[in-house]
This record gives sequence, C-alpha cells and structure tokens, in this order.
Amino acid sequence: MSFELTIGWLYPTLMSTYGDRGNVICIERRCLWRGYNVKMVALDQKATVDDIRAVDLIVGGGAQDRQQEIVMRDLQGEKAEVLREKIDNGTPGVFTCGAPQLLGHYYEPGLGQRIEGLGILDMVSVHGGENTRRCIGNLVVEVTATRLARDLEEMIGSKPYLIGFENHGGRTKLGKVEALGRVVYGLGNNGEDGTEGAFYQNAIATYSHGPLLPKNPFVADWLIQTALRLKYQQPITLSVLDDTLAMQAREAMFKRLKVSLPTPALQG
Amino acid sequence: MGNKIQLIDRLRLGLAVSVAKSVTLGVRSLRLGSASVLPGSIARRIAPRLLQLLSQQVKSGVILIAGTNGKTTTSLLLHTILERKGYRVAHNSTGANLENGLMTALLESTNLVGTLNVDYAILEIDENILPKVLIPIQPRMILCLNLFRDQLDRYGEVDTISKRWTKVISALPPETVVIPNADDPTLSYLGQQLPQQVLFFGLNEPEHYLDAIPHAVDSIYCPKCGHSLDYKGVYLSHLGDFHCPNCGFSKSQPTLDSREWSQILVGLYNKYNTLAAATAAKELGIDEATIRDSIKNFQAAFGRAEDLEINGKQVRILLSKNPVGTNETIRVVTQSTDKTTLLVLNDRTPDGTDVSWIWDVDTEKLVERGGTLVVSGDRVYDLALRLRYSESVCRSHLNLIVEEDLRQAIATALEHTPDNETLHILPTYSAMLEVREVLTGKKIL
Repeated sequence: MSFELTIGWLYPTLMSTYGDRGNVICIERRCLWRGYNVKMVALDQKATVDDIRAVDLIVGGGAQDRQQEIVMRDLQGEKAEVLREKIDNGTPGVFTCGAPQLLGHYYEPGLGQRIEGLGILDMVSVHGGENTRRCIGNLVVEVTATRLARDLEEMIGSKPYLIGFENHGGRTKLGKVEALGRVVYGLGNNGEDGTEGAFYQNAIATYSHGPLLPKNPFVADWLIQTALRLKYQQPITLSVLDDTLAMQAREAMFKRLKVSLPTPALQG
Repeated sequence: MGNKIQLIDRLRLGLAVSVAKSVTLGVRSLRLGSASVLPGSIARRIAPRLLQLLSQQVKSGVILIAGTNGKTTTSLLLHTILERKGYRVAHNSTGANLENGLMTALLESTNLVGTLNVDYAILEIDENILPKVLIPIQPRMILCLNLFRDQLDRYGEVDTISKRWTKVISALPPETVVIPNADDPTLSYLGQQLPQQVLFFGLNEPEHYLDAIPHAVDSIYCPKCGHSLDYKGVYLSHLGDFHCPNCGFSKSQPTLDSREWSQILVGLYNKYNTLAAATAAKELGIDEATIRDSIKNFQAAFGRAEDLEINGKQVRILLSKNPVGTNETIRVVTQSTDKTTLLVLNDRTPDGTDVSWIWDVDTEKLVERGGTLVVSGDRVYDLALRLRYSESVCRSHLNLIVEEDLRQAIATALEHTPDNETLHILPTYSAMLEVREVLTGKKIL
C-alpha cells in the first residue's frame, strides 16, 4: 500500500536559523525515495488549528531571539493547546535549539524579557547575557533515553550515538523530563551535568544542529516509522536506503574528534 | 585629519612600525605567507593606540567597508577608481579584515618613523569588529553592504549586529558619511535612524526579481515593529522592494538610479557592489567618467568571480562562503550552459566551523540540471550528503564524484570539463586559497 505522511514544519521562515531545514529535507526525501507520499505543512501564523491537528510528524528548528518572541506571540490559545495535545499523545517530532526552548517552561534571552514556553517539556532555558560564551562546536551524544535507545539499537545493531554541531547561547536545565542522551564530546544542555536534549513521548529535543537527521539517518527512520505506525495502526518495516555517505561523514568526524565508537552497521 | 601626535606616541609608533616591518620581511623571506596579519598583531602590543595613530594620518580619510558579502570586491573597485585619479590608497586587500589585518594594511604604507603617506585608506572590516574600531579610526565614510547569516558560530545573530552598529555609528561626528544598502530592510532602517549624512544605494530593476523568496533569508520581518514585511519583489535573499503594512516603514530612496549603471563581473550581487562603490566615489568628488571607465575595465579580486585559464581550459572561481552568497554563485552557474562544477567545503576558522549552513542553500537548483558535480574539502562527505539529498529521485542522472584530495578533485573536474566549457569552482574562503594555490602554484596567504 502507498503510505502518506503529513509533516508539520514549525514557523519555517522564523525558526530555521542554522540549516535545520535539513531535518525536513531528510525526512521528506527518505519518504519519497521509498515511494511514500509526503505533504508539507507550514505551521506558522497562517496555519489553522486543523492544520496542526492533521500533521503526523513535527519538525522545529532554531531561531534568533527576536524571531522566537514573534513565534510565541502567535503560538497561543487553541493553537498551543492542540500542539500540546499532539505531543502529549505521541506525535513524533524533532525539535532543535530554539524549538525545545519553546516547549519548556520558559526561555530567558540574553537581552529582553523572559519568553514563556508551552511547558510541555519539564525544563527551563536561560541565556546568561552578552558576556556568556556561546556553546559552539561538534557534538557527539550517546542516546540514553530508554525507549529510544532500545528502538535505535534494534535498528542499527549497536549502541546509538548521535553526531551534530551545537551552537547556542542558552543553557537548559532538565526537570523531570528524561534526557535524550549523554554528552560524549561537546557541551550539550548546559556544559555541566553531561546531559544533552530531552525525550518525551515521541518528541526528540536537542541542541544538535548539523542538521541532526542527515548524519543520523536511523533517527530519521525511527521518526518516520513511528509516525507511520501511529497513523496506520500496524507495524511498518522501512525499506533499506543507501546511507554510505552519511556513514562516511560520521566516520570522518569521529576520527577527527578522536572519539572511538562502534559504527552502526548499514541497515539490511 | 590632524597630524598632531605626541612625542611619546611618536616614539612608540616608530618602534612598532620598525618591528612590524622586520616581521613582514621575516615572514616573507621565510616564505611563510604574505604577512597580512602577524605584523599588525605584534606592533599592536608595542603601541596599543596604533590603529588611532595610523588612522589619523590618512590625509583624506578612512573609508570602512562592512557587510557579510561583497567587501573585497567593493573595496577593490573603489581602490581602482581612486588610484585612477592618482590618489595613494592603503587597503587591506587580501581580505584580512580583523583588527590585526587592518593595522598590517596601514603599516605597509608607513615609513620607518611611523609616518603614513597615503591619501585614503580603504579598510574592509569584519561586521563584528566594526563597533570596536569606529572610535579609534574615526572614519570619513562607512559603506554597509548587507547583513546576511555568516559564521554564526562566532558572532550570533543578524539582529544583534545591526543594533550594535546603529548605536556606535550614531555616536560618530555628524559629518561622517554612511552608505547603507537601501534594499536590505535592516540596513535601510539603520540609515533612517542615523543623524549623519546618509546616502543609500540599491536596485531599481524589477525584471531581476526572483520567483520566490529563498529559504536562506534572515530578515523578512520589519526591523521597526516586527510585523511581516510585504515585498513587491526580491532581488536576492531578503534584498528587495519592501514595505511594512503595519507601521509604514519602507525601502529608502537610493542616490543613484541603478538602471543607468553597468556592472562589474557576473551576478546580481556584483551590481550591488558596483553601486556601493560608485555612490562612495561620487561622494568623494570623483567624476562620473572615471567611475564608469573603472567599472568597465574592472578585474576580479582573487577567488571572487575570478577567471583563469588552466591548460587551455577556462576556470571560474566563485567564492561561496555562506547561504546567500552560494545561492547567488549557483545562480551564475545555472545561468551558464557549463555542466561541470567543483564544490569545496572547509570548516576552518576563516570559513566558520559550523557547516550546517549548506542545508540552507538551494543546492537543488544545481543538482536538478544534472551534469558532473565534484566535491572536496575538509567536510567533503557533509557536502556530498547535502547534494545527495537534493536529488528528487534516488540515484538521478547526476554524476556526483566524491574526492577527499583537493588536488585530485581539481584534476578530475578539469578532465570532465570539455574544451569549450568553463569549469566553475565554488569554494569556501580557505578552500578558495587552496584551490588557487593548486591552480596557480602560488601561495597567497
């Protein structure tokens, strides 16, 4: 049968500062290459509550502080409620940098007022002001979120490691929400407690640009698979794609960072 | 511009200059490079006020050129125009645009006792350094070319930069001339807020509007009130004809009518560079005939739309260092009939260490037309992956060649280029220097 996924992209013109569009491209192409239909919907100021309700998978990227404020002015009332319901009920998603800050309780920018978040993820983010160093550099993370780690390990046959690039001024402290992973190289949520990102229901929150998915294609496939399973209420096996280039890109970076990790076997 | 320098400063300056000059000589004789940064760095330790001491000796004033893209080309054009009129010009012409590079450029035109003997200094300046050097330099003129996303790993965000610029430029003397890009909302707004004399430059050629606003856009929201801007049309990135339906803010009126001016090199972005330099030159009192003649006879700065001939084949190097610039260089390639392109992605400090930006480039436009794409550089696999994900069907008609070794990549790309076609090379900054070194056998930095 021919599957179809509707991908909701949070505020594409406001929240895509650091190449996070790559996550959208990655999911879209991996669906198209497998012959699935993909519908892209911008979840922006023009989007209706029904638009949000109809998406099977959500992608959100980073934003500059001013843009983040514009987003939060719009993401209020019923729109916010529906998005919260979706994520609470397990709609898979990947949220990078600014996007998770908005899903937390609040974000305090370097200049200006605290921006209230949606409070979906139990975490807070604070920017220490103009003299705080940005967290910038390559990032390697071991996925530790229990269910995700188990699923990914099943897919690739070895412990799942993510590779990316972090670039953020804000520091995030987790409350009760589970961390996405443990920092192997880089700084992660706050450079102090060794955690990186968060994982809640099927939502992946991370500071990792790069963008995240093209170089961690098994995460993209996990998102697609989860979305299809929820939508069609049946287990779905994805066909194998040639990820040689992604594996070479990972290898090259692991080697440069002198991080020795097991390479995921190519699927199949 | 006074020449009143106190004796103690004069002594320090003399010492700083002679040390710097020996360093330059040393670096060059040891073939370590062209010494465009180190001498300035050493001299500054000896005379901390060096930049100020040197700047105030420039007879007719310092011209600063800031912006994400186009600094080197615009500087070079303005330099050419001024020299054609017989002026002596100091210029950081190798694109070394941080503080030490600025000082090195000034030091080069200084004699051994620290006297600077030039009429003008043209200094390309990194967008984040601008606030730091305005007070010591006290420029006569500032050109603000554009503000795009570039090297965010170092600098943070476009908004923050423009706020800082507005603050520091406002504090300069009222006779300072500021030349901002009218088509860039952030800079148009900056110009409208300044108390100084402001001359805008911009396009008035709707036939060059893009079909859609590209993704790699930072600023389509009103810098004044935050509302979405309405665009009648976009020339490139967020540069275009805009107005704000909420607060009425709109594009400023350019001084020159772009329709009446030809341009240097290729690509619409070079039309902007042409207009910026022409506006500045006119304001400095240069006659129009000289300006037009310089535009007509202009030769590219290295690596920026530079044409070379290698073994009888045409090679065009188009520096591609950020999303907006790369969208435009891809536009140049796709408007040609040539089918072989070499892309080189490095992630060293001058390039920016974050290569995420390649996903904001519309590489699909390059991939869709097929042909041969050779990729290389420190991040060759990241670049290859970006191109692979630009294919709408798995394994399209695209011939993608991945080659870690740059020398080999260049050789392969040249082999694939037929004799009557041009090989386009799109490198990041440090990659451009390497490519040029391979092609010409010379080191330039």
